Amino acid sequence: MPPTSRLERPSNVSDALASGRLGVPSVIFFVLSAAAPLTVVAGVVTTGYAVTGVTGMPLAFLAVAAVLALFSVGYVAMARRVENAGAFYAYVSRGIGRPAGVGAAWVALIAYNALQVGLYGAIGAAAAPVFGTLFGVEPHWALVALVAWALVALLGLLRVDVNGLVLAVLLIAEIVVIVVFDLGQLTNPAGGSVSLDALSPANLVAPGAGALLVLAMTGFVGFESAVVFSEESKDPKRTVPLATYLSVVIIAGLYALSSWTMTVATGPENVSQQAGEQSVALIFNLAAAHFGDTVVTIGQALFMTSVLAAMISFHNTTARYAFALGRERVLPAAFGQTSPRTGSPRVASLAQSVLGLVVIVLYTVNGWDPVLQLFYWAGAGGGFGVLLLIATTSVAVIAFFARTATPENLWRRAVAPGLASVALVAVISVAVANFATLLGVAPDSPLRWAVPAVYPVAALLGVLWGVLLRRNRPEVYARIGLGAQSAAAAVLPGPGQPAPVRAGAGR
Amino acid sequence: MLIADEFFLIAHNDSRGKARLHPAATGLGLAGALLGELVLFGHVTVANGLVTVIDRRPPADALSHTVLDQLIGEPQHQEIRTWLAFLARSSTTSVGERLTRAGVLRRQESRRLLRTTVSFVPVDLNAVAWPATRLRALLERPDPPAVPDAVLLGLVTAAGLSREVLWSAGPRAQHRLGVLVPALPPPLRELVAHTEAAVGAAVLRGIP
Repeated sequence: MPPTSRLERPSNVSDALASGRLGVPSVIFFVLSAAAPLTVVAGVVTTGYAVTGVTGMPLAFLAVAAVLALFSVGYVAMARRVENAGAFYAYVSRGIGRPAGVGAAWVALIAYNALQVGLYGAIGAAAAPVFGTLFGVEPHWALVALVAWALVALLGLLRVDVNGLVLAVLLIAEIVVIVVFDLGQLTNPAGGSVSLDALSPANLVAPGAGALLVLAMTGFVGFESAVVFSEESKDPKRTVPLATYLSVVIIAGLYALSSWTMTVATGPENVSQQAGEQSVALIFNLAAAHFGDTVVTIGQALFMTSVLAAMISFHNTTARYAFALGRERVLPAAFGQTSPRTGSPRVASLAQSVLGLVVIVLYTVNGWDPVLQLFYWAGAGGGFGVLLLIATTSVAVIAFFARTATPENLWRRAVAPGLASVALVAVISVAVANFATLLGVAPDSPLRWAVPAVYPVAALLGVLWGVLLRRNRPEVYARIGLGAQSAAAAVLPGPGQPAPVRAGAGR
Repeated sequence: MLIADEFFLIAHNDSRGKARLHPAATGLGLAGALLGELVLFGHVTVANGLVTVIDRRPPADALSHTVLDQLIGEPQHQEIRTWLAFLARSSTTSVGERLTRAGVLRRQESRRLLRTTVSFVPVDLNAVAWPATRLRALLERPDPPAVPDAVLLGLVTAAGLSREVLWSAGPRAQHRLGVLVPALPPPLRELVAHTEAAVGAAVLRGIP
């Protein structure tokens, strides 16, 4: 704590700056609303069952949660010592080196863009039943996607982050609906008895289990963002770690319960087939069997708003990522510009929107399937990218603490990140081995290697770009990984040197 | 006219006193300008991210005097980012009031939906548009601007308002703007850089 806390005299500055500080619940709300639980439960889990044909999903969520909790120990400890703490590549820059940081930034850009763009594939399927109930027509998915796209593009430019209270209400409603549906599924088991088959550990060593781990990872994306609030939280040493752990636990509990009760209601042996036939409608059809139409319609409407909220939140995350890279001059400086009147990262936001439009048009023209080939593939591909990022960050945490003297104990700086790294590498290797299952393509399909290969290629190009920057533009090289803080680093003696740890009254 | 005054007018260069710059950047830019005034008057200096008071004698301007008193009164806070964040909370109002006392602006309260919003409307539209025009003319000239003008230009750019000054200006003016900040004395250069970093961090946090 800073010396201020020991002074008896009250400080106007500390009081004024402390008034808007966030506590644990606010940070958790922020993290979970970006996670959009109903999108994962109704969209990712059902499609995952359909494509992979493996029933170990509940355990996969728990296993990934355990690994991420272990990873978070070192991650939150390092977060307090890193500028631009919300972005994984900042950790890689500091821990492993700036060229590796650029590689990680490239990977992150692709992964987050894939996750955002993929959601355009789900909004059509999510909106169809709602429009069907309200107006009796089910519009073409591309029409819905284009309307959603225009909305997201506009909100991104106006920088209207969806109001925190609206998000909180939607989030609570989503969770209530999920739990109610889960109870409905649990009390109406297929064949009259509740089956625990899906929870058998044998499912995690079954062929194709690696695919489930990647899907589970996709469900957790967003848990990393609590560290953004280090400076705004009441007590950075306590609030942020607690919020991160609790977010992981809540997400894991909710998703594991939902994916298990789904197998209970259909019978574990039928879940894959039923999910294949009904796709994202599965949980609503199951609910329709024992709840009234109103409950189902509310659920469907919340699914639609959940996908929309996730789109907006991922759009802003991705645009801010590009903005930070533009501020560092790693991307063209234009990406670091903001619109004066709204303060939105204008160029970064527009670029993200253009990509979304291109993808929607491409899928419409070619008649590709929006749910499976856009939402699911982009989600799985993006989730795999985030998995690679987390593994690299975990190694970077070890390297950082090995070189930097800190009062952190051995568990936080070496043991936990070490165990997490080993586990993450293991997850990645089974995931690569099972990639054909993950995508639901034939084992000899070119996609099976093409999708996972995108990331190493991007990382390699990024590292090369970083090395080129070191040689040709050292002033840019020194700024890598610092995000918005890079402006200040440019004038400080010894550019890029670690800033002293400053807890408490912010800076 | 002091640099915070001119920053305020550039950021509100509009007949109805409406903002041209989002509130977070306006507050931080004005906070940077208020600290910049104290640096220019020789009361404080900035080095290694810390603000240090070097002359405790009261400045002539009442608002500068208040800011200096706050700096002296809380010596436990030296981080420039702490002071930027703290001053940003009130800088728009305090500088607006200073311009009202000078007769440049008029304070206007409007009630809408039970909320009272305070805005500062220009008394003379030409006087309000003048700072942006003046800076543009400075950039068109070959000789380097005076230090206070260079600080103001640096802060305007740091807050993301450079287009307000640069519109219709040639590429040479753009180039001159780019080399201005690196040529500033170190304390002022650091002040401008920290303001830019604080504005960027506000954008990344997504808080309007």
